[in-house]
Amino acid sequence: MSLNPLPLITSRTGGCTLTGALAVTTGIKDSVTIIHGPPGCAHHNFSLLHATILDNDCMVIPNVMSSGMSEHDVIFGGEEVLMKVINEVASQDPGIIFVLSTCITETIGDDVLAVTQNAGVPVCMVPTGGFLGGDFEMGFSRALIAVSNLALPAPMICEHDQKISNSVNLIGEKNLEYEVKQNFLEVKRLVSLLNLSINLRFAHDITRSDIYRLPFASVNIMREPALSGVGDHLKSTFGIPYISSFPLGISGTLSFIRNVAVLSGFPPDEALDIEIEHHEEIFQGFSDLRGARVRFNIPVEKQEYPRIKEISEVIGFRESPEGIVLPVPYPFPVGTSGMKRMLHLWRRTLTCRAA
Amino acid sequence: MKQIALYGKGGIGKSTTSANLSAALAEKGLDILQIGCDPKRDSTRMLMQGRFIPTVMDHVRKEGDADVRLEDIMFTGYRGVRCVEAGGPEPGVGCAGRGIIATFQILERLGALKGDIIVYDVLGDVVCGGFAMPMREGYAQEVYLVTSGELMSLYAANNICKAIKRLSLRAKNRCRLAGVICNSKNMENEEELVLEFSRRINSRLVHFIPRDRTVQLAELHKKTVIEYAPDSSQAGVYRSLAGIVATNEQFTIPTPLDTDELESLAFDYI
Repeated sequence: MSLNPLPLITSRTGGCTLTGALAVTTGIKDSVTIIHGPPGCAHHNFSLLHATILDNDCMVIPNVMSSGMSEHDVIFGGEEVLMKVINEVASQDPGIIFVLSTCITETIGDDVLAVTQNAGVPVCMVPTGGFLGGDFEMGFSRALIAVSNLALPAPMICEHDQKISNSVNLIGEKNLEYEVKQNFLEVKRLVSLLNLSINLRFAHDITRSDIYRLPFASVNIMREPALSGVGDHLKSTFGIPYISSFPLGISGTLSFIRNVAVLSGFPPDEALDIEIEHHEEIFQGFSDLRGARVRFNIPVEKQEYPRIKEISEVIGFRESPEGIVLPVPYPFPVGTSGMKRMLHLWRRTLTCRAA
Repeated sequence: MKQIALYGKGGIGKSTTSANLSAALAEKGLDILQIGCDPKRDSTRMLMQGRFIPTVMDHVRKEGDADVRLEDIMFTGYRGVRCVEAGGPEPGVGCAGRGIIATFQILERLGALKGDIIVYDVLGDVVCGGFAMPMREGYAQEVYLVTSGELMSLYAANNICKAIKRLSLRAKNRCRLAGVICNSKNMENEEELVLEFSRRINSRLVHFIPRDRTVQLAELHKKTVIEYAPDSSQAGVYRSLAGIVATNEQFTIPTPLDTDELESLAFDYI
């Protein structure tokens, strides 16, 4: 019996456990993900993934299949039909096969894990029955942990015998968010100030063999604090320390640089000086906004206000209940370039309202 | 058309009672359909001279449900009693409750649910929604609880009362408790205990069936008591039960007991 209650308040971060896991497994481009359940579970998620990928200007068809369970399989058990689909998929020789369970297969008690273990080909199973109280985040985290275990045991490659001390992993990028590419480029730019490179985007547009690189970075950078469980798992498994979030806000971006430097063993001062100067240049470019009477519409996370207040003070806004409402994007923009995009958005909003 | 369901703890004698009841009703010249709603598929065996008939789920498993015909799943037994077994998945896999629902849909589609009386013989307890199906959707409107004086048997009967009570809250549900049948285990004060239990759950003891060796002998000969020993006193008991069931019009919404009350009741009749 699951003791994990359903969240009382649903939001954009809610959703189905299955969708969360798919956001990870479909990021491994030579994989096939089998959704063990009725066709509708796959269809709905396939449509969502396809639409999102198109929004990001990619013409990629997600490698998702359904075991296509019918009422017959519900009554007599769905293990046989799952095995049949695994065999079909295995004949195409994908890099890895993922199997995700659904509400109905968890309800009737299909032993999905046992089927995958007896499949005769490498199959990675992630339990994703949404009715058990999980949400998108749980599916996302579970899938990341399951996929990370594919890096074990690490292959005996000489150049990987020691950690690549000048690189970081990005863990749990939000593959379904519109700004995924900009966010990646921003983090890449920031760590490059410390002469660090990106070892692995885990799991975004990678292959099965890329996963073996996971243990060979000096720092893991999590996309957001909700992935701390994944960070802990990777730390205990591979001994890699982690930073809990991509950089957010002015001081957040600077402390991000500082923390990455500390964990990587590099001095941060030069990188910080460069970034502080970069901040000043950007904020100078928005000096025309100084003195505008505004208030902020913070959609979800109230704790984001201190970051907003910090930017507001640097720009010189006057906050007032009668001020023009400025939208705060969700998720919060990443790094300095994210703040720059948000300032452009605010300028457009102020210009439109003033007109 | 009357539609009745017999519910009770596993092993209490539901199938024996159901088969003998159907046989006795058929003797009266009534058109009877007995449906076994239990994956162990032995409800109708004594009506079929010991034969395990192919189940609805056997057919669906092998052939699918698209082309199923009535003659594939319905078989005529003693005195023309039409026999159906729902069957179910192999033990340990799938969902037997959904199998019951699917069986009812198939029987309805084939126009099988007709006759003077339909007897539903249902798995020991209402373990999930599927096994409450005979009480839903306008199928069995009269539920009989089969119990002995054993506490666990009364406990199961009491649980079924809870299901009937809950279902009775639904606007269109007409399922009611029709009475209690005591299938004796030869316990001390057993009839008095079950009589009092029946009263407390707002029902009545419709018949006490004494324990009789004839039942075991009939089963060893793969027949109902009605067929094996038609002149026996036990056959007379089943005919008496059949007479009551055929004319019973006293249906109630039960008032299930809480566990303490049930245990205290059993204690009073040690």
